[in-house]
Amino acid sequence: MSVAVIAAALALTTMLAAVLYGKSRRIQALEAQLQAAAADLQHLQQACSRLAPATVVQQLIVDSKSSDVAGTAERKIATALFVDLVGFTEMSERLEAVVLVSILNGYYERMTDAIDEHRGQVGSYVGDGIVAYFGALQSNPWQCDDAVRAALSMREAIRAYNVELGREGLPRLSIGVGIHRGPGLAGLVGSRQRREFSFLGSAVNLAARVQSLTRLHQVDILTTEALRAEIDKSIILVPMPAVPVKGFAEPVATYAVKGHVRAEASIT
Amino acid sequence: MGNALANVGWESCLIDPRRDRALETYARRKTGVPIPTVRYFTSAPWLARAIVDLHPEFGLLMHLDLHQMDIIELVVSQENSCRFCYAAVRMLLWAQGMSEARIQHIEQTLSQADLAPKTTAAIAFGRRQSREGPQGAQEARQILRDAGFSAEEMKEVAFVVGVTDFLNRLNTIPAIPVHTLERMPEQFHMRLLRPLIKRIVERKRFRGRAAPPERPPTHPYAGLVNAYAGSPIALALRRTTQEMWESPILTRRCKLLMLAVIARGLDCQVCATEIEEALQQEGVDEPVLVQVLTHLDAPELDDVERVLMRFARETIWYEPAALQRRARALCDRLSEPQFIESIGVASLANGLCRMGAMVMGHS
Repeated sequence: MSVAVIAAALALTTMLAAVLYGKSRRIQALEAQLQAAAADLQHLQQACSRLAPATVVQQLIVDSKSSDVAGTAERKIATALFVDLVGFTEMSERLEAVVLVSILNGYYERMTDAIDEHRGQVGSYVGDGIVAYFGALQSNPWQCDDAVRAALSMREAIRAYNVELGREGLPRLSIGVGIHRGPGLAGLVGSRQRREFSFLGSAVNLAARVQSLTRLHQVDILTTEALRAEIDKSIILVPMPAVPVKGFAEPVATYAVKGHVRAEASIT
Repeated sequence: MGNALANVGWESCLIDPRRDRALETYARRKTGVPIPTVRYFTSAPWLARAIVDLHPEFGLLMHLDLHQMDIIELVVSQENSCRFCYAAVRMLLWAQGMSEARIQHIEQTLSQADLAPKTTAAIAFGRRQSREGPQGAQEARQILRDAGFSAEEMKEVAFVVGVTDFLNRLNTIPAIPVHTLERMPEQFHMRLLRPLIKRIVERKRFRGRAAPPERPPTHPYAGLVNAYAGSPIALALRRTTQEMWESPILTRRCKLLMLAVIARGLDCQVCATEIEEALQQEGVDEPVLVQVLTHLDAPELDDVERVLMRFARETIWYEPAALQRRARALCDRLSEPQFIESIGVASLANGLCRMGAMVMGHS
């Protein structure tokens, strides 16, 4: 009798152990799936961070829970910087697509590094042009100096890139940069399907116009009066004649940025 | 362990640990366990002590629930992408018996609905303060008020957020090694020791008792210390700030200028006014200060001050690996004690400024 009870107990224990083992394996598998899903999410978030600043990605995640696309922008004073390649259209007609894309990628990378290094955010790439904002995402009282220093870094980066391109027998690049500061609306704008971080307002339009004036004045970096009043006096500016620009009633006075009076003590 | 920050870029450590028996003993007595990070900051003794003295769990909180404190530390460290502090808080939660799944739920904010409303509000507050700083203080305060936090609890929440901001920067800037800490909960011997660690942690974490106010402080941030009068927090803040000012490694003027830059970057008027007065007493004229604050440079600055003004602004909003690379460049231009103290001053200024905005207002 007692042997039968012991055998039954053993059988029951074995069954229970088997069930528990099965459950434990199931939990382990689920945990592994959960961890893999979490890792995927992290990779996705990292991939997203290449498309937009991390705080913007975070804002998108928060906003995605609500169907409301309004209310994510706020009024700010920020600095807009426009840069594009001089003679890009002509170059694009001469070069093979593969070579052109390779040159363009090198250009984008160097310009973006200069913007990142000086605490700017790339707003968008438009053709061969890049729009960047300083102080639009987070408050930045040094936004004007940052924008001008970013432009000077771009100049240096293009010089170095031209040496590389020259070695490979490829055409040299030159850039035009326009910078202006003023009030605007900063935040996520767009439709429910597609949104991007942007800074909107007449200040941005004027920065774009100033950038196009670099051709007229035959210089690579131009800023406006609004910048001149704010930037470090160690940066050398040369006044350019005021000219009328589309969309603005008064002629716009601009200043060519030549360089620094003294080497910076920058740690960047 | 599926640590949410495991993929955050982290450079190799910028400073070498140095043993200091007296400081290590001080830390061990206060916390019950060895604190290896103390060794990295022994060149600036006030900073090594501050790591322990300002830690909220050792007798500084009188009102705030300690579990809420843990959650706030976790959330703020996540916001600041501080892998070291994040792993440390995770480890602490694990040691106290919280399951890995539960920790993951909290960090992924998937289970906010099953958290207590006050904890949810504390998470929202921590996030907002870390992202927006003093600018978002008023709205962040309202979140806590709506959730039913008392005025005293709110001040303690602000303290926990501010101290976490301080510790996050302190461990992030020199890239204090994180791998050992991150792997600890996976190690077999740590699993065995878990009940013991839990007992030590529970025994050493204790609530603060009302502390009689000392003579009123006169140094900058006196207003902040006074705001915590009667709480042990006031004594801890007073001691740390006093020791920072008395430390001879960087000049008082240099430290004040770093604080002024950070107050300007965070747009905190209360802190800026206090620091400006102190700078005037140091002989810094208003035009010089305006020049420094506007362009982070002035002919009147010496070489150390010049590099530290730019460094101070880098610590306000940052991406860890980029900040660590910039700090590495700074390393070559300063002596080791100067480098370590500058990290401490910048980190503390960020924490105090955010804390001050909450308890004193910022404009």
